[in-house]
Amino acid sequence: MIDIIDLHKSFGGLEVLSGLNLTVGRGETFAVLGKSGTGKSVMLKCVVGLLVPDSGVVIVDSIRVDANSRKALAQIRQEIGFLFQSGALYDSMSVRENLVFNLTRHRRVDPEDANVKAEHYLTLVGLEDAIDKMPSELSGGMKKRAALARALVIEPQILLYDEPTTGLDPMTSSEIGELMKKMHQKFNITAIVVTHDILCAGIVSGRAGVLQDGILKYTGTLNDLAKLEDEAVAGFFRNPL
Amino acid sequence: MKKFFVQICDISVFSLRFFKEVVVPPYEVGEFAGHLANFGLRSLPLVSVIGLLMGLILSLQTKPVLARFGAESFLPVMVAVSVVRELGPVITALVVAGRVSSGIGAEIGSMKVTEQIDALEVSSVDPYRFLVVPRVLAGIVALPLLTAYADLLAVIGSFAIIYVSGGMGWQLFMTSTVTSLSFADIVPGIGKTFFFGFVISTIGAYFGFKAEGGTASVGRAATSAVVFASFLILIADFVLVKIGILIFE
Repeated sequence: MIDIIDLHKSFGGLEVLSGLNLTVGRGETFAVLGKSGTGKSVMLKCVVGLLVPDSGVVIVDSIRVDANSRKALAQIRQEIGFLFQSGALYDSMSVRENLVFNLTRHRRVDPEDANVKAEHYLTLVGLEDAIDKMPSELSGGMKKRAALARALVIEPQILLYDEPTTGLDPMTSSEIGELMKKMHQKFNITAIVVTHDILCAGIVSGRAGVLQDGILKYTGTLNDLAKLEDEAVAGFFRNPL
Repeated sequence: MKKFFVQICDISVFSLRFFKEVVVPPYEVGEFAGHLANFGLRSLPLVSVIGLLMGLILSLQTKPVLARFGAESFLPVMVAVSVVRELGPVITALVVAGRVSSGIGAEIGSMKVTEQIDALEVSSVDPYRFLVVPRVLAGIVALPLLTAYADLLAVIGSFAIIYVSGGMGWQLFMTSTVTSLSFADIVPGIGKTFFFGFVISTIGAYFGFKAEGGTASVGRAATSAVVFASFLILIADFVLVKIGILIFE
């Protein structure tokens, strides 16, 4: 479903990704662990075409993201939901409008049906009471939930998460993780979860990888990774709470 | 110096893209209406005060000078021509740039640093078409109307000074003002405000899009937008005045 082959990306002479390879199968959830600044978000942004790789290939659902026109890219993005680290809710729109916006704009969903869908997905994430609130009125956890509902409402085949639990308390992190897992199973979603929250990774993912020195240095189940003696990896599993 | 020219090229490319994108559907009618209200209606109180003050101050300053030459009766003509040709368009544009250009810079800059622009792009929405085109169109439509309104208030302000000092009645004042204004005064005066409106919105949007990092860059975007837009308005005014003279006189 998602293939990343020999991905390179530099910023002003600093090479962030240096030959990264990753394959994520349909319906699989893969967690990418790594310290801050190792290029996890850069990798995600290359997958969705927000950043253009210096070299390498990114294939999503058999379509090359890195070498396609703007129009083709727009088509691919219709199948991708993206949860941003900050939530990135449109702050000039209410929660409802945030969800309805994408549905009515591209999918030509009737506004009434879009409203019903928005209410349904906000109920799934436990935010039915906040539907007409503005993003500025929501707490950090509520914003993450609303952003998750916005990513889900388009019923994507692929979901990309950029630090979905950053800044949340462990209880809320677990709740968000459980919610993500439930959604993935329910809709058979393929997902990449970029995180340094080992609790969240443990809940949602089958396989995980550690991004270090611009490549996925180790991949395997979290149990496999926990046994590694590399200090950079062991640090994630030490005192997860 | 090289950086400055690179930025000028960058701004030119960003601005010229408007003419390509404005004709491509979907047309953001709702967004345009919202920004028109923001640009136009919300600028009205400020423009009203500035327009009126412009007429009052100009008349107060000019009256004694004209009196020295026994030419007080020319006051309505002088004020009307100065305001319609030059002061109205430029002062309105500068005042609106201070309010709107910085607002656009801060708004788009804040969307940029909070990844809302990335979110638009991931949703297959072209941020330029969605955020820039309606704002620039609103600027092009609203500024000429605001300028005409400011010009009118300036003339009323001028009448107030003349009337209070017992110089002239309303009918004589209006006859004198209207007959003094020609096509060559009104068309270049209002004509350049279309360009000023374009500059105010485009420059605000450009600096907003360039914001990156944290909230400090949002503040910088707002400040740069208003400084650069004001600078460009004055430079463009010089060029447009020259062109106006070549065409109309």
